[in-house]
Amino acid sequence: MGHHHTHDHDHPHSHENVEPSDATDAGVPDEELSPSALSRRNLLRSAGLLGTGAAASTVLTAPSTASADTRSSSSGERRAGYLWLAGDHHIHTQYSSDAMYRVIDQVRHGNAYGLDWMVITDHGGATHARIGVDKVNPDIRAARDEVRDTLVFQGLEWNIPGAEHATVFVHPGRHEVGVLKQFENDYDGSVKNASDNTPANEALAIAGLTFLKKQVDKGRVDDALFLANHPARRGVDSPHEIRAWRDAAPGIAIGFEGAPGHQAAGIPEPNGGGGGRGFYEGSPSANSFPGYPLESYRTWGGFDWMTSTVGGLWDSLLAEGKSWSISANSDCHVVWADTAERGPDSNFDLNGRYNDPVHNGTILTSAGDFWPGFYSRTNVGASRQSYAAVMSGMRAGRIWVDHGHLIDGIDVQVRRAGHGPSGATIGGVLRVKRGAAVELVVTVDLAQQPNWAQFVPRLARVDVVRGDVTGKASDRDTFSAPTARVASSFEVPAGAAKRFSFKLSLGKIEKSGYVRLRGTDGKRTATGLNGAAVDAHGPALDVVGDADPWNDLWFYTNPVWVVVD
Amino acid sequence: MKEVVGIDAGSATVQDAEHLLGRLLEEVLGRTDAMVACTHFVRGERPHVALSVTGVDSAALVSLELGVASGSERSGPPELAAGAALAAAAFAAGEGRAVIYPGVSGLVGTRSASEVLAESAIEEIDVMGGGVASLVHTRDFVRPEYVNGRLVLLTQPAGGGGVVPFEVPNPTPCCADH
Repeated sequence: MGHHHTHDHDHPHSHENVEPSDATDAGVPDEELSPSALSRRNLLRSAGLLGTGAAASTVLTAPSTASADTRSSSSGERRAGYLWLAGDHHIHTQYSSDAMYRVIDQVRHGNAYGLDWMVITDHGGATHARIGVDKVNPDIRAARDEVRDTLVFQGLEWNIPGAEHATVFVHPGRHEVGVLKQFENDYDGSVKNASDNTPANEALAIAGLTFLKKQVDKGRVDDALFLANHPARRGVDSPHEIRAWRDAAPGIAIGFEGAPGHQAAGIPEPNGGGGGRGFYEGSPSANSFPGYPLESYRTWGGFDWMTSTVGGLWDSLLAEGKSWSISANSDCHVVWADTAERGPDSNFDLNGRYNDPVHNGTILTSAGDFWPGFYSRTNVGASRQSYAAVMSGMRAGRIWVDHGHLIDGIDVQVRRAGHGPSGATIGGVLRVKRGAAVELVVTVDLAQQPNWAQFVPRLARVDVVRGDVTGKASDRDTFSAPTARVASSFEVPAGAAKRFSFKLSLGKIEKSGYVRLRGTDGKRTATGLNGAAVDAHGPALDVVGDADPWNDLWFYTNPVWVVVD
Repeated sequence: MKEVVGIDAGSATVQDAEHLLGRLLEEVLGRTDAMVACTHFVRGERPHVALSVTGVDSAALVSLELGVASGSERSGPPELAAGAALAAAAFAAGEGRAVIYPGVSGLVGTRSASEVLAESAIEEIDVMGGGVASLVHTRDFVRPEYVNGRLVLLTQPAGGGGVVPFEVPNPTPCCADH
């Protein structure tokens, strides 16, 4: 927790190109490059100036990814060769019509609570598109200067036409505002009155993602990413829409929130608002995908049903052999038990923001959010602490998430049995010949100090989930993955102090597949929605009005892929 | 299944559709103990919510600006008439989210599961996430669903014991100040 590394920060707003040498630096692999740097490198390649390499559309054609070199660096402790930088890509400020804090308030809190990177994502909408998107930028740039060891991206909470919200953010640079503003004005579902789930609106969403991809391809921004937020909350992100976003902008549309924000919303009255954890308390509407079961409208162990269900929607995406990442964020609008309110005499429509918040001494028990970094973390494996490296790490799928700082860190290696220490880590690909013996080696760094609720979380169990890569989904609306299941579980011994390690033979590999990990404090479990044979001790349904977020903690990792040549 | 009338005013939400239903029952159709009224989603170019109602005379509706479908008869604007027909067909096929059904007026306060089953048209009570319902805290808002013609109430555990219906009477709207 906290910061124990020094950073060689770039300040991209002061010069146009960040890390211009990456494209020609052979020590930086393709996957580490921003798309614009990668296209520069490919240009040089096609001119015969560099070696060869190809971007992969599925893991089946991706090269093996060994862990980065494990030399220690000045930037702190590396696991599997990377710095694992904690962040949050879903944060609101006074520039959102339903929020209140200044940018610097969010950044100072996020920094204090241990975040290395954050994305400011105010809601898309008429006022924000007109002035808010411009006016928030100087505040963000000032925060970058004031808080030097937390990276602050400018993004947007996009109203996806025909669907839910999503984080869209770009690499800092001269055109960060210009690109976001044009994108919002032309493609935001609220601005364009395109919220209904219709084919035309679904097409507008794809056009928006295509626009983003073009901005990166043209080099107007160095990089852009999209992650769908609270995807199952209202049932409006149908499986075919998610697949369409992924396929329209590969490498830009990279994932969704595995767990929504608003994690304090289920704290029972009178101490809390007594709502649904994550504010997942709704029911289907005419815009909902009719195939979703009602279970999808609630959270399970604090996580979204798409992610929490073993053999569910997330696994059905992974079964296609395409990377799809999960994240966990605060969605911070108004903080539970805070004592502030919006500044008096605010005129949001005129000013594009509320006046600075003021202390009023009233304890906001009905608010549902935690400060960024306080509870939810999206941990990204990055080669260094820079904007480009965080985005590259996310694109590469090097992500694990946790709640309540359940663990300090995790090192995951999938490797040929008996072939030395290094293999593929989270997000990576291990290529093997059919029949090769493969093993999984995991080391969890157990929590060593109290979290922000003043207790040391205790990890009780780690589950290993395995699934086959079965190929392209013939039904784009499928949300089940029949081969995915919890393959093994490991109880953490009561006496474990610093680390918990285990090795698991994955057997002789006959089919391409993936392995992902999940861990829990063990306080609330239930048979998974696909039965005990698939998930005997999965997360339990969060009780609306009675969900204590601190007594139900989980971590989830992205998959490691094993591909048979 | 008895004769059913489909009604479509292009309601955006189930709340709007229920409000319309209440007004129609009060001002035009009258209410009987035996009647069933459901909401149905109409998807497509303009997703919205339509109604099906049993045991009423559709003649009184024809003069209103509504889509109405009864048997093979259609009236009102074509798009709404099509939605009304869809709602009537869905009810006939054993689907719908029930707003009015026999015994609904007695489902107030806290009732035992056996009372709910004995005194209303609800035939089954399920508990999300597993378990058996004993006490049902109705919150005076019970909206069971027809599943293959069976009226099923899905519930979820309540804080402090018992169960509550899955559907919250007043969910936090998206983008509310919270």
